[in-house]
Amino acid sequence: MSRIFVTGMGIVSAIGRSLVQNHLSLREGKCGIRNELDLFPSKYAGVLPFGTVPVSNNELRQTLHAQEPGVTRTSLLALHAFNEAIADSGLSPEQLANTDTALVGASTVSGMCLTDELYHDANKKEAGSPYLSSYDNAAVTLYLQNRFGMKGVINTINTACSSSANSIVYGANLIRHGLAKRAIVGGADSLAKFTINGFNSLHILSPDKCQPFDEQRKGLNLGEGAAFLVLEREEDTTGKKVYAEFTGHGNSNDAYHPSSLSDEGEGPYLSMKEALDRARLDPAQIGFINAHGTGTENNDLVESVAMIRLFKNPPAFASTKSNTGHTLGASGAIEAVYSILNLAEQEIYPGLRFEHPIAATGLIPVQSYQKTALQHVMSNSFGFGGNCSSLIFSTI
Amino acid sequence: MRPLFYIHQSSCISPQSSFEPVDIDQLFEPADNKLMAREPSYDGIPPGILRRMGKAVRIGVGAALPIIKGPAEINGIIIGTANGGMEDCIKFLNQIIQYEEGQLTPGNFVQSTPNGIAAQLGLISKNRSYNITHVHRGLSFENAAIDAAMQLADHQDNSYLLGAVDEISAYNYNIDWLGDWFKDENTGSGTLYNSGTKGSIAGEGAAMFLVNRQKENAAASIIAIKTLHTPDLNLVQQSLVNFLEQNLAEGERIDLLLSGENGDARIDPYYHACETLMGEGTTIARFKHLCGEFTTASAISCWLSCHILQQQRIPEHMLKRKGNPNALNRILVYNNYRGEQHGFMLLGRA
Repeated sequence: MSRIFVTGMGIVSAIGRSLVQNHLSLREGKCGIRNELDLFPSKYAGVLPFGTVPVSNNELRQTLHAQEPGVTRTSLLALHAFNEAIADSGLSPEQLANTDTALVGASTVSGMCLTDELYHDANKKEAGSPYLSSYDNAAVTLYLQNRFGMKGVINTINTACSSSANSIVYGANLIRHGLAKRAIVGGADSLAKFTINGFNSLHILSPDKCQPFDEQRKGLNLGEGAAFLVLEREEDTTGKKVYAEFTGHGNSNDAYHPSSLSDEGEGPYLSMKEALDRARLDPAQIGFINAHGTGTENNDLVESVAMIRLFKNPPAFASTKSNTGHTLGASGAIEAVYSILNLAEQEIYPGLRFEHPIAATGLIPVQSYQKTALQHVMSNSFGFGGNCSSLIFSTI
Repeated sequence: MRPLFYIHQSSCISPQSSFEPVDIDQLFEPADNKLMAREPSYDGIPPGILRRMGKAVRIGVGAALPIIKGPAEINGIIIGTANGGMEDCIKFLNQIIQYEEGQLTPGNFVQSTPNGIAAQLGLISKNRSYNITHVHRGLSFENAAIDAAMQLADHQDNSYLLGAVDEISAYNYNIDWLGDWFKDENTGSGTLYNSGTKGSIAGEGAAMFLVNRQKENAAASIIAIKTLHTPDLNLVQQSLVNFLEQNLAEGERIDLLLSGENGDARIDPYYHACETLMGEGTTIARFKHLCGEFTTASAISCWLSCHILQQQRIPEHMLKRKGNPNALNRILVYNNYRGEQHGFMLLGRA
């Protein structure tokens, strides 16, 4: 079976509109979470902190030449990251439209960022908005498919907050099984009144900027963004820039509760362990973990417990959600990009605002920028419904 | 051709009598252009849990129960659903608007995530293995089936629960009605296919399958699957020609074309184009008058194919053109979602 290499990456988040900007922000420990929200009117605007991408929809439409009716912010963010990824990998329009190029996307919010339009279209028997076919999860992927005339296998995955981690896995599987030669994989989500009120009703939104793995953590901050990766077979990458190899993945359901993880962290433990087994690695070979680390009471404790169970002495770890906020369906892909930057640059970026270790586990995330030798990096994504996924990327 | 996998057990909740006892000769008609699922009593689900389930979760879990409560060890749960709990999703949205972002209860929000069906199935069967939900609109089930095929190629001894579900909610009916996807005139099974008008009738349902690579005692097999995104009719036709060339062995033919024709005059040309590629001996049958049009209707066609392959008989009301098959060995399903998403599935008698 072919080895799967990452040959292109594109990303937009609260800490940057390009791979280079995101990289610099991570190095500098920059936080993109702010007490400002001007994307739509909400009573939580100015009250709760959010990881907003500081670009308006109009500006996105103009710079991307995306004036099609029915295009949502989620699709615009996706297009922005997609464009950067395919340019980075040097894919031609012909390659994109070829039957052996797959596209696997993920979005949990999709067109639901248009709360008022959706409210109208779902409830009123009068003239529909231009967004009638923009609400479902597949709308973002289908927008990209249509715009680039893609004819390979196209799919969209939803495993809640681990969605785009599973998109990466599905794309790699398509390549390994000969159903595609290359796959563009990732996800996008934008801030929405729907998710803000949803997470608020569960009382897990922090009134302050989040503090992953801190004893005093008060919850998560919602963010937005998109990331896409280009995956190719080793034999097709001769002469191309290669960032890393995708070496392992695990998928397990915690089977405990619809919106929280079990005390012993069975799902997180199993997904990390399966990823190690598939990559044929011992726990000690993992040099860094980009943790799920949402900053909620439940996640950070359970993830710590599971890391201790598997690693005994967990490797260096941190959560980039302290930079970007929780980007939901996009977070798996965004954090895969960050993990690959760890490897490609041989450096570790600091988790922000950590003060006191969780008493029960005592784990301390990385708090300063470090230059270090890394061979294998793990990225965790855990979602509602118990959907836990772990990815491993390695230097080639 | 070695099949992608075998289907050992199948279970379906649909607008017809597809759940035990199965009787698909008797036809239940749509009301107000909607074919609603005939739901069983769900004896296997505790009442407290059942009450909190939205319809998509209920019919999905209900259809899967006979399989997950069965003796087979299940090594993963692979579900296709375009929308999951759409009703809960919009109920929560309506609360946000009506209560102006006040203190809301999280029940509908938690139930609204499309991965809720696979998650609930994992939860009630304490299944901690592979768990995933494909949400690719009209090709959600096909992608789930491709996923199952890849998992089984990697893990030859495993068994998976593969299935799909979507519901009619007042809300997605409204959105799709505004989008011109449903007929304005009152339509029954007798008038659906010959209306000459745009739109179809709404439907819903859940179909679940136990799949693995063991040939012994299998009910049917899935030999090949292909998906395509294009509005170009010629590309669709060419793609089908290639699909048959690659997947039919010397001397084999399609005994039955199960067509996803849905009465929408705008989509008919695609189905006719594919029909013309079938030999005269091929029987052509339709199924959307049984389950209505919805994003994962192809999963219902897969369940019907299993039933037909086992019974070696096609209900009269499904027939469009009678061929001359000696036996029903190969069924081709062609389903088209809104003229843009195309799925071909080739099924075989076990």
